[in-house]
This record gives sequence, structure tokens and C-alpha cells, in this order.
Amino acid sequence: MREPILSVRDLSIVYRTGRRTSVTAAQDVSFDLYPGQSMALVGESGCGKTTLGLGLLRLLPRLGQVSKGEIVYRLKDGMSVDITGLAKEELRRFRWHEAAMVFQGAMNSFNPVLRIGEHFTDTLRSHEGEKRRTRAEITARATELLSMVRLEPERVLKSFPHELSGGMKQRILIALALALEPQVLVLDEPTTALDILTQRSIVEQLHELRERLGFAMIFITHDLGLAAELADRVATMYAGRIIEKGSAEDVFYEPRHPYTVGLIKAVPPVIGDLPELSSIAGSPPSLADLPSGCSFHPRCEWAVDACRETVPSLTVLTPRGEDGGHAAACLRAGDIEYTRKVVARA
Amino acid sequence: MSVKTPAPPASAPPPTRLRRAGRVALRIWRSYAFRRFRRGVLVVFIVTNAGFFLMRAMPGDPVDVLAGQISQRGVSPVEARALAIQSLAFDPGAPLWEQWWDYFSGLVTGDMGTSVTQVGVPVSEVIMKVLPWTLFSVGAGVTIAITLGLLFGMVMAYRRNSRVDHALSLIASILGAIPNYLIAITLVTVGSTLLGVINFLDMRGRYGQGVQPGFNLDFIGDALYHGILPISTYAIATIGTWMLVMKAATTEVLGDDYVTVARARGLTDKRIALTYVGRNAVLPLVPQVAIALATVIGGSILVEQVLAYEGLGLLSLSAVNNRDYFVLQGVLVITTSCVVFTNWIADLIYGRLDPRVRVSDVEASS
Repeated sequence: MREPILSVRDLSIVYRTGRRTSVTAAQDVSFDLYPGQSMALVGESGCGKTTLGLGLLRLLPRLGQVSKGEIVYRLKDGMSVDITGLAKEELRRFRWHEAAMVFQGAMNSFNPVLRIGEHFTDTLRSHEGEKRRTRAEITARATELLSMVRLEPERVLKSFPHELSGGMKQRILIALALALEPQVLVLDEPTTALDILTQRSIVEQLHELRERLGFAMIFITHDLGLAAELADRVATMYAGRIIEKGSAEDVFYEPRHPYTVGLIKAVPPVIGDLPELSSIAGSPPSLADLPSGCSFHPRCEWAVDACRETVPSLTVLTPRGEDGGHAAACLRAGDIEYTRKVVARA
Repeated sequence: MSVKTPAPPASAPPPTRLRRAGRVALRIWRSYAFRRFRRGVLVVFIVTNAGFFLMRAMPGDPVDVLAGQISQRGVSPVEARALAIQSLAFDPGAPLWEQWWDYFSGLVTGDMGTSVTQVGVPVSEVIMKVLPWTLFSVGAGVTIAITLGLLFGMVMAYRRNSRVDHALSLIASILGAIPNYLIAITLVTVGSTLLGVINFLDMRGRYGQGVQPGFNLDFIGDALYHGILPISTYAIATIGTWMLVMKAATTEVLGDDYVTVARARGLTDKRIALTYVGRNAVLPLVPQVAIALATVIGGSILVEQVLAYEGLGLLSLSAVNNRDYFVLQGVLVITTSCVVFTNWIADLIYGRLDPRVRVSDVEASS
């Protein structure tokens, strides 16, 4: 069996909110990501997806920190390293070289006073070893990368960020992310602020690039359609925990957690009759004040008394595939009856 | 667009040299830099006018002042007045519009008139004797304040809510609240009288007795030594504001996405602090330099008084006291020009630094 490129074990991330108070934004998160695989991280706003994404590169804001767990990458040279223990300079060298991130707000991802070309120069120069790249080499590399995302390199390299459209900037950021051929690419809602046509073409390009370059991808999104299209594996997050994970087919066709079921029910199908759409009643809980037991129980129509008391752990349902197969954190995950019904609809 | 250039007919003759020159002149006239320059000239004109009329609205005129001085030597008031009118090169009794015309027509040709108190000495000469000193002390003080202020401000933002930040914030707010002449007085009383670490009697003035002004090490060293007090006064008085403003600007930039992205890209901390954080944080502060300069030059009137530093401030004070119309107007023209000029430069630099506000000439003329 092949080895994962990234394996996250019992990762918890807390934000300090006051002198003695803190909020846990991600709790006991574990998953494996294999080379070339693409995993979608889905969930409502505020469920901890972005925090988890930032945590994977140790990019948390000042008040956030990894409180426990490990994030182990298998590096290009074959060594494994837990980045929670990396010193500053090692971490700097690790970032972008081994794992890169494409951010939600591509609009603001570039320094407004620097030309796009200088962003490529900065990035490549920060990661060179003994041998210095020449100007021409840098331009050649940037040109190659920008052509990969189908932009006109000459014009783009000379432009300032404000002279480019949101879609162009998102593509440039993807090109920039691939500059050092990272093995893992984290994408945080890369298409959220874009129109539907631009979304399409970016998704297609991501597909193409992944096939060509073979990097693994973690895709943070609340758009299930996008997840279904790009992901080999899906993990659903709720209130800081992964509550269901499995292959895309398993999670989308046989969802076993009532929350995943609710998410799928809320998406209208493109083809066929419009079934009754439903939204999940209530709103996500505040991370500072989580309900007892399963944090989804107040919104769950299948909740029983036991749900109020026990925090369900991720239990393997079908041990098919990598990373423990299909697992859900629900006491009633065994009641297949309702999930099957939903599958027929979705 | 306000000015329309008619399109040349299809069979127009090749443009003559004169035409080409005309087109270049029009381009310059319409350019952003020149538009700002014209506005600056207007500001100087308005301020000088205000000075002109205010002086004449004040009770007493140069003749009164001079006659008063002469009569102290035992001359009868009537005689003293006649003598005063005789020795003055201008007649304060002339109609206002005539005085106005005389002064401003002279000003256009660069003639600022002659001093009333130092009879016959051209105003430009009077001002040139003190201007370099004020520019030197104010310039050095403001430069030090800005440099250190930006540095401390960044440190405060990077370490916000730490002890360093709290301590520096407190110091900055206190310094920002003290008027500069009080700082000068404090420096002198605490440093000289109480602690005795500085010898104020030796340091007062612009340079020591017996030192020959000129371009030699002795003189430069001595000027710097005498400049310590005014320069520190200006620096201490303005540094607090710069620290606080820079802290706010840096804090904002630190929260911007491109800084997180830069960290993700594995750039070095130094590169991020200078080019990503520093440069963007400084941008909104550039236009404030000119405003700060104006405030400091205004404050120099009292500081120079306290430190017995003979500069523009002291000169304008004595000009007001002696009703020396021309000197005061001259001082106003020069100081306003300095501020307007700095503002103009700051504007142009801002345009260079921030590509988003780089105004193209086409946009500027519409």
C-alpha cells in the first residue's frame, strides 16, 4: 500500500479570545492525503475549514495556535517531517516548496505596489539554494507558469494587481502556487468570488494541471457541486470536527451523517424534476459555546437522548479504500434506512 | 476635457517646429505635476494677501514704531515722526490699493521690498540670513522624528499588546500632547538647571562666538552642537504622532491578505516587513509630511524664542512687533512656499510609490 503524502493526526487548533478564554476552531482532526489525490473539505461558514487549511501550513493568525496533534508531510526527498515542530527558518523553506496555498480572496492576495513579475521573482528568490537564478531564468519560469493557466505572460508580468480582473488574479495565484512544484496544494474557496464562467474554466484548469503535474489537493469549499467534480475524497466538517469522510462516491451517494444528508438535500439537482429542497433547521453553533454531546444534535431530526451525552467518534462503516474508508461520527449512522432515501433523491 | 485640440484636417501640412513646441507646452501645462504647481502658487498668493491685509489692520504702523524709538533719544514727538517718515522708504499713508500694487508687482519680479527696521536692507537679504538655520533645525528634527517614529510604530504594530507596545504607546501619547515650546523649556530646565548635563549658556544661539561661518569642519561641528537643542525639541515634539499613526497603518496592513500570502510563499521576514508591510503602511502617511512641516515651522516662533536660536520664527516675531510689513510678508511668502513645495513633492512621490493613484495626464485634465 502506498504511503500518504500528508497525514494529520488528532489536530486541534485554538484561538485565544481573552486572557483566559479560548475557542477551539478545529478539534481532533485526522485524515490522510495520498500523492495526487484530491480531497474536498466541505461545511458551512464558520465550521473551521479555513482554520484547518491555514493550520496545514502553520499560517494561523497571531491568536491561533495548534494545541495538539501532528501534521506530518512526506517531503520531496522522502523524509517525513511533523511541521508543528519546525523552527522558523525551516518552516519558511517548507512553505510553498512542499505545500502551497491558494487563498479565498485572490483580489487581495497580491502586494498592490508590486508588479506581478516581482511576485514571481520574490517567490523564486526566497527559495533558492546555493545557485542563484538569473533574471532570464525567473522570467522564463514565470512565463511558463502563466501560459499553463492560459494568460498572456508578457502583459501580465508587467501589470500591477489593480490592473487585472479577479479571475485573472486567481489564475495568477494558482500559477504562482505551482512555481516550486509543491506536492500539496491547499485551495481555500478558490472560486467563491468569481462568476460562473470563470469558475468553470478555473476548475477545468485545476483538473488539467493536477493530471499533468500530479500534486495532491485539499479543496476547501461549501459548493458541493464543485466538490463532487474535483474531489476523490470528501470530508465534511461541523463545528470544528470532521464528522464524515470517505470517497466522493460514498459520501455523496451514501451519506451516513445527518448533517451531510442535510447539506446534500439543500442542493438543487440540475437535471430532473425539482424535489422538495430543504435547508438544515437552525444555525451552526457558536464555537465558544458548543452543545453537549454531539454538537449537531439540536438541529438533528434523528437525535436521540444518547446524542445529548456522548460525543460520537468517527467510526468506520465501510473499510473500502484508503484512509480508513467511509467513516461517520454519528451514533445512528447504522440506520441506513434514511440515507438510502436521500440517495435516491440526490 | 476642458481644452479641445481641433483634429488636423486630413491633408494638413507636416507639423512645424513651432507647432510641436506648442503641443509640448500644452502637455506640460495640463500635466498633473504642473496643475498641482499652479495650485501651490495660488495658495502662496492667498496667504501673502492675508498677511498683507492683516498687518495693515493691526493698530500702529512702521512710522509709529520708528518715531517711538527716535523720540526715546530725546527728540520731540512731532520731530521724531517727521524724521521717521523721512528715513522710511515707503509711505504708510498711501492708499491701500497703491501699496498692494507696489508690493505685488515687485514680488512678481522677485523683489520683496526693503526692511523697515533695518533701513534700506533688502528683505531677501534679511530672510536669507535666518532661513537656512530654520530649515536646518526643523528639517533635521522632522527627519529624525519621522525615521524613528516609523520604526517604533512598526515595532509597536508587530508586537501589539505586548509590554513594549504598551510602554511605547503611552510615551507616544504623552509626547504627542505636549506643545513644542514646553519641550524646549523642559529640555533647558531639566538638562541644564536641574541635572547640569548640558551647558545651556554655551549651547544657546546658532553658533559659538568667534567661530567663522563658512564651509569648514569647525563651523559645521559648532552649528550641529548648537543645533542639538532645537533639533531634539522638534524631534521629540513630533515623534509621538508619527509613532501612533504608523502603528495604526501597520496594524491595518498586517491584517491584509497579501501579507498572509507572502508568509505562505515563504518569503523572508525582512522582505515581508520592508516591501509588503512597510511600504504599504507608509503610503497613507506621505501626504502628512507636508502638514507636519507646516505645524513645526509655525511652532518654531516660540521654540526659537526659548532657545535664543535666531531663525525664521524669531524674525517673524520681531517683524510683527516692529510692524515691519515687508519682512513679515516676505517671511510668509517663503514659509508658505516651503510648505507648498514640500506638499507638491510629497504628492509626486506618493504618485510614484502607489501605482493605484498614478494619475495619467489624460485623466488629470478631464
